[in-house]
Amino acid sequence: MIEAHDLTRKFGDFTAVAGVSFALSAGEIVGILGPNGAGKTTTIRMLTGFLPPSSGRVTLGGRDLFGGTPDAVAVRRDLGYLPESVALYPEMRVEEYLSYRARLEGMDRTSTRRRLGEVLERCLLSDVRRQVIGTLSKGYRQRVGLAGAILHDPKVLILDEPTVGLDPKQIVAIRELIRELGRKHTLLLSTHILPEVELLCGRVLIFDRGRIVAEGSPDQLRERLQGQVAVTVEFEAAAPGILEAIEQIEGVRGIRAEADRPGPAGHSVRFVLECAPGADPRAAIFHLAVERSWTLLELASERASLEDIFVRLVTSDRRDAEQPGESQLAGEAA
Amino acid sequence: MRGALAVFGRELRAYFFSPLAYVILTFFVLVQGWYFAMIVAFLADPRAAAGRPLELFFGQTIFTWLVLIFAGTFLTMRLISEELRSGTIETLLTSPISEVQVVAGKYLAALTFYLFLWAPTLVYVAIVRWFTPVDWGPIAASYLGIVGIGALFLAVGLFASATSKNQMVAAVVTFFCLLVLFSCGLLENLVNGETAKKVLGQMNLWQHMDDFSKGIVDTRRLVYYATGVGFFLFLTSRALAAKKWR
Repeated sequence: MIEAHDLTRKFGDFTAVAGVSFALSAGEIVGILGPNGAGKTTTIRMLTGFLPPSSGRVTLGGRDLFGGTPDAVAVRRDLGYLPESVALYPEMRVEEYLSYRARLEGMDRTSTRRRLGEVLERCLLSDVRRQVIGTLSKGYRQRVGLAGAILHDPKVLILDEPTVGLDPKQIVAIRELIRELGRKHTLLLSTHILPEVELLCGRVLIFDRGRIVAEGSPDQLRERLQGQVAVTVEFEAAAPGILEAIEQIEGVRGIRAEADRPGPAGHSVRFVLECAPGADPRAAIFHLAVERSWTLLELASERASLEDIFVRLVTSDRRDAEQPGESQLAGEAA
Repeated sequence: MRGALAVFGRELRAYFFSPLAYVILTFFVLVQGWYFAMIVAFLADPRAAAGRPLELFFGQTIFTWLVLIFAGTFLTMRLISEELRSGTIETLLTSPISEVQVVAGKYLAALTFYLFLWAPTLVYVAIVRWFTPVDWGPIAASYLGIVGIGALFLAVGLFASATSKNQMVAAVVTFFCLLVLFSCGLLENLVNGETAKKVLGQMNLWQHMDDFSKGIVDTRRLVYYATGVGFFLFLTSRALAAKKWR
């Protein structure tokens, strides 16, 4: 449906996007994931025809978006776009703004009237249709922007961080709406909120420093990128040699100490173990604990979340920066 | 065309919803009314030389120019820079509408509001007509000049507005450009080179307006305004397209 061919975008000496290629087939919901500054918005701006690429092409249904021809302008009719900063005209009323957007899209009066009612209802805007946009809360404005993007029933819908700045209740409502839209439209969604991607997208593109570093469904990514489980283990108190002893256990690939927490007897110690594919060191840990008389508080295995994969991917070649990156991400995801 | 109309409608509405437009409108009517009253009082004095009030009103004082330059600046400064600042430009330029349509819509809205600004002055014409027979030719010519020069000034202002996200920067740039455009004709009397004198003479807007107020319509001048408008609107659409490249 929409294809990016080797897109590169430079701003002066800085390369924001370097040789990105991907394609969305009809009906797909694809998520673009990446830390701030990874090139998500730049990529999206190229896909929507707002920012011409330094090199590479974007085609929508086989038609070039940057041909510089009248056709290149007409192609944009198949595109609905919600920019990152949902910018609206504060002095207009909701209904007024939406009919303006409809006129820009070249819709005729009858279909405008019909779609307007539909869209207002779907985006839960019916009760503010006569209100001036400047007086609306952020959540409502976000929905007005979304309503403007889907008004002309585009084939491809591109949403740049659609849930940023909303309260939890509004986030749920918007996600519900996005999921519903995904049934009818080809949808590209950018976000840095991980659960959102797991929840909504059939396929994920992970961006880092202007490149796609991984691609696949959330499940595939999980499997391919770690295939192993992570084991959390917590002891009541620190004992000498604990770390070394655990590291000796077969199947343990890496070990990471978590922050001490106040426990029943002073401070407990907690580790997260990365395990080799197929390995399960839980039994061995139990025996070790019995043998050394360490009190075990918790022993749990879990499949790594997409978050772990994400953190590993975007920090893989800057190991020293791993910790801050992780805590920041967890903060944002929460 | 539909896209241009959509932009035109929105911009025109935005004028009437913004307080700035009413402030401009109020001052415009105040200044023009006060000035017209002065002219009438002046001509009513038996010591004054005989003259036509509307000829004086349009052609021979600096007030017309102050009004034109300020209107050109204030009516256009917001037009594109506000979209650049707020980010609405992104939705506008990703709509199936070309830059030329955006520029055309915005320019026509500014021009329409500008004409609206001048509409109350028709009352002065009616007042003069009430007391004395008038010669309609010079009056029509005067309005033609007002529209032509105003159209040129608005095009300059629209271009300046496309160059900056900051309305104030756009306003200052416009103001200086209009001052230069206005005063370069006045330099006619300060140069001695024959060609330079001739060129500057053709660009002397003061002289243009003076002639219009007497009923002299020189098509070369109309062509000058029309090409100026075309040139600056072309630059504006290029500037808008260039915004995408940054």
